[in-house]
Amino acid sequence: MKILCFAHLSEQLGASSMELELGPISVADFMAELKNRYPALLLDHVMIAVNEQFVEQTHVIEPNDTVALLPPVSGG
Amino acid sequence: MSHDRYSRQQNFGPIGTAGQQELAAKHVLIVGAGALGSGNAEILARSGVGTITIIDRDYVEWSNLQRQSLFCEQDAIDQLPKAVAAANRIKQINADITVHAHVMDCTASDLTSLLDTSKVDLMLDATDNFAIRYIINDAAYQYQIPWIYGACSGSYGVVCNFIPGQSPCLHCVMERMPIGSASCDREGIIAPAVQMVVAMQSAEALKWLSGNRTQMSDRYTVFDLWSNMHQSIRMDKTGKHEACPTCGAQPSYPYLKSEAAMRTEVLCGRSSVWIRYPRQEPLDMNLAASHAMQLQAEVKSNPYLLQIQEGEYRLVIFQDGRALVHGTSDSLEAKKLYHRYLT
Repeated sequence: MKILCFAHLSEQLGASSMELELGPISVADFMAELKNRYPALLLDHVMIAVNEQFVEQTHVIEPNDTVALLPPVSGG
Repeated sequence: MSHDRYSRQQNFGPIGTAGQQELAAKHVLIVGAGALGSGNAEILARSGVGTITIIDRDYVEWSNLQRQSLFCEQDAIDQLPKAVAAANRIKQINADITVHAHVMDCTASDLTSLLDTSKVDLMLDATDNFAIRYIINDAAYQYQIPWIYGACSGSYGVVCNFIPGQSPCLHCVMERMPIGSASCDREGIIAPAVQMVVAMQSAEALKWLSGNRTQMSDRYTVFDLWSNMHQSIRMDKTGKHEACPTCGAQPSYPYLKSEAAMRTEVLCGRSSVWIRYPRQEPLDMNLAASHAMQLQAEVKSNPYLLQIQEGEYRLVIFQDGRALVHGTSDSLEAKKLYHRYLT
């Protein structure tokens, strides 16, 4: 599974993308797993897109999917 | 007007002379005259959009000049209101169009009275906080006027069209108003990220205004110029639409209700400002505290309230969204602090 970390998440992770051996896994479980592995990541309010599609918490992510983690951004 | 002023744009097939005439007849409301407001206003003015209204509550400061392309050093020296400085520059760029500048906060009632008194074809979001975007979103769907969300921070940016009757609204995409979202004063900002958002927003605006509506993007587009990443995200299957208070079957437009507005009250004889901002849901105190700590502020909390100390300012925040800001008697300054930590 490919994970893309946008904005401050890439600083918190130390990389903008990574590969994880995960799935099939629900979005909710995936987020919990991510928080568990990388406690420094601030994931509240972060939006999740799987293969460039917004998905619900119950959506199941497959091992070959690309998951984008998108923090809300307000600046302008 | 010189005959070939718009020739290069008219030679672009999808616009042509007919599209150019459409542009001249249109009115765009740009909410915010900062970085995104500057960039969008300049492009739309040069493109010949007939009427531009630009709103901003702030004044020009030196830290704006790195990216806010309508302003010059003299504007910062004179501390001109951004809406005024922007309008001055737009008139220099294109004297044939009409420009209205409003130095104001853009509350829900400011926005709705503007939309009641003039026909606006499109709203461009060039604001810097989510509180106002939820107001714009409600107004857009009530008045059936499309709006284009744009935001940036660091090297990251987002653009999304919200078209009543066609696309889900901001509420559907972000059900809860985010706390501690990425902003420019905290995370910094590079000018190319601004210009990238501006390019995408103004292209979408030109499509809508020139009669090329079927070309409008239906994606939530994000990019990070530093890590070379780009995603164009489909929004259609989130399934939240029907129950949405803004674009669902029975809309209530919660952010336009007068009791939903942020109110401030300067306390006599003390340099403190009360902020009353009824939230749609109780404030998550732990989340707000952890964001404040990320921003290097000094944070104290108990089950009832949260205290954030930033330099000479101290914010005392209650769970229902009320806050007391000590260390200033300027309500705009107090609101800025509130938005920095809580929206």
